[in-house]
Amino acid sequence: MPNTLNDRVAIVTGAGRGIGRGVALMMAQEGASVVVNDLGGAVDGSGSSATAADEVVAEIVAGGGTAVANHESVTSMEGGEDIVRTAIDSFGKLDIVVTPAGILRDRMVFNMTEDEWDDVIAVHLKGTFTVVKHAAILFRQQRSGRIITFSSESGLFGNSGQANYAAAKSGIAGFTKVVARDLGRYGVTANSIAPRASTRMIATVPDTARQMRRQREESRAAESDPASELDPQEIAPFVCYLASDFASNVNGQIFLVYGSNITLLTQPRRTRTIFKDGRWTLEELNELVPKNITQGLPNPSPPLPSRQ
Amino acid sequence: MGEQLRDKVAIVTGGGRGIGRSICLLFAQEGAKVVVNDLGGAEDGTGDSLAPADEVVGEIQAAGGTSVANYDSVTTMEGGENIVRTAIDSFGKLDIVVTPAGILRDRMVFNMTEEEWDAVIAVHLKGTFTVAKHACILFRQQRSGCLITFSSVSGLYGNSGQANYGAAKDGIAGFTRAVARDMGRYGVRVNSISPGASTRLTATVPQSARQIREQSGIQTAAAPQLIEARRDAEDIAPFVTWLASDESEGVNGYVFHVQGGEVSLMNNPEPARTLHKHGRWSVEEIASIFPSTLGMDLVNPAPPQMPREGTS
Repeated sequence: MPNTLNDRVAIVTGAGRGIGRGVALMMAQEGASVVVNDLGGAVDGSGSSATAADEVVAEIVAGGGTAVANHESVTSMEGGEDIVRTAIDSFGKLDIVVTPAGILRDRMVFNMTEDEWDDVIAVHLKGTFTVVKHAAILFRQQRSGRIITFSSESGLFGNSGQANYAAAKSGIAGFTKVVARDLGRYGVTANSIAPRASTRMIATVPDTARQMRRQREESRAAESDPASELDPQEIAPFVCYLASDFASNVNGQIFLVYGSNITLLTQPRRTRTIFKDGRWTLEELNELVPKNITQGLPNPSPPLPSRQ
Repeated sequence: MGEQLRDKVAIVTGGGRGIGRSICLLFAQEGAKVVVNDLGGAEDGTGDSLAPADEVVGEIQAAGGTSVANYDSVTTMEGGENIVRTAIDSFGKLDIVVTPAGILRDRMVFNMTEEEWDAVIAVHLKGTFTVAKHACILFRQQRSGCLITFSSVSGLYGNSGQANYGAAKDGIAGFTRAVARDMGRYGVRVNSISPGASTRLTATVPQSARQIREQSGIQTAAAPQLIEARRDAEDIAPFVTWLASDESEGVNGYVFHVQGGEVSLMNNPEPARTLHKHGRWSVEEIASIFPSTLGMDLVNPAPPQMPREGTS
């Protein structure tokens, strides 16, 4: 059995299925004691069941590893605190927090309901904060810790029909960059993964939606269906690397991970600039912006003729 | 008086003060009819007052412009709908929506309360959605429209003590990229501004917080300065007005940084370097190759510090 995470204690949210499950299994294989958190809800966030987390715990224990289940929702502060307390109560400490828990409620923005917005923001964005905040209290005191959040190409590059999910996932990237700066001085690192994998969440995006995007020739995150045939377990090795002592100075970064590919994403930067010593007039901007800033910028969703 | 927004109808949230106010004033000067939305709350989101929106409307009217006030909170769906309805009821249509409304509740993440998190996410992130959603219903039907949201370098780069604000502001950038793809096909333009300006919001960040960041070697969100930077709120308005006008036709899905006399296009995140292997990686394999490949040049934005003596 490999041992890159020997004696470590890890929390993995949404670990009952998909990417979270793959991370929990591999962390246990690498020697970590794992809190397998999963509410056991449906893909749209409804319902709950203890089964999903319990099955992963059983699988880890059967393989000779150490794990305990937690069935709290990440959406409340109490849930986040309880998940962290489960690690302390069961294993006496906490070293690693991984937060892939998520749901999907796709809809075009003009049809999106308040519930569809609120639910997705609650699970992804607040659900990352509730666990990370309580872990950060411990990490600061012990002057060590690893935080690995989950962002998405949908937010980083943009994807039609996912205003809620894109806001949440891009928000997690911003959150992670701030947390890296809040906690880095205490020897803690915080990084984020944008994964591509075929999971039950991706399966909820209807094929018709993919076809529509293609027909409209919208530019999108990937050229083809990015997640088809990609094993969610392939995300785990790089997550384990970030959680290990090897990555002690990797902080505040976003990585795209799919199949056997690991890609570092650029930090934001200015690509084209105009400058004036003073306030611009509209006449000046009319003249200079098209030539220097917006020239050749592709419209990711160009106007279509209206159907008769 | 200019002509660049003649006959356009615009909504500006948080239009009572700071960046929003200066956008309202320039829009009206350029011929737009403006719904000045402002709850009139304090920097931390508490309280409300009619005065800020009313004063801006008074200023616009005194200069010969056309404007109406709205005092709804952007944090509810009803508020967002009512702000959009105010434009229709007052001026018969809607062409432009600008959403700088915001608050600040800074705190290190390990001390941040649920209320500090929720309040900031509600005003910035949900407050952008509630107005944008109802505007997009109209924009889709009329097959035109312009939405300009407000992101921030705090989210794009990360700024210590602003986990809530950074999440909300980078969230708005992602929201903007998604909505640009939802709405572009209907002839709508959706873009975001990352402004650098001194307003009463930034005045709430204590000087000590800035000093601590500097002393601890923590990278701040401030983008590298081209020259000694002006930070006037009024400097943001000209580019927002250009973006809101027909001159920006076809510009959709981008984030622009505006500060003083600088206007920049921000890149969207893009792949820098990739590792690939035939088959599944082991942790040791990644560890052996990462530092000399993906990890080269990576800078820890807040390197570990020795604990101070006598403190925990």
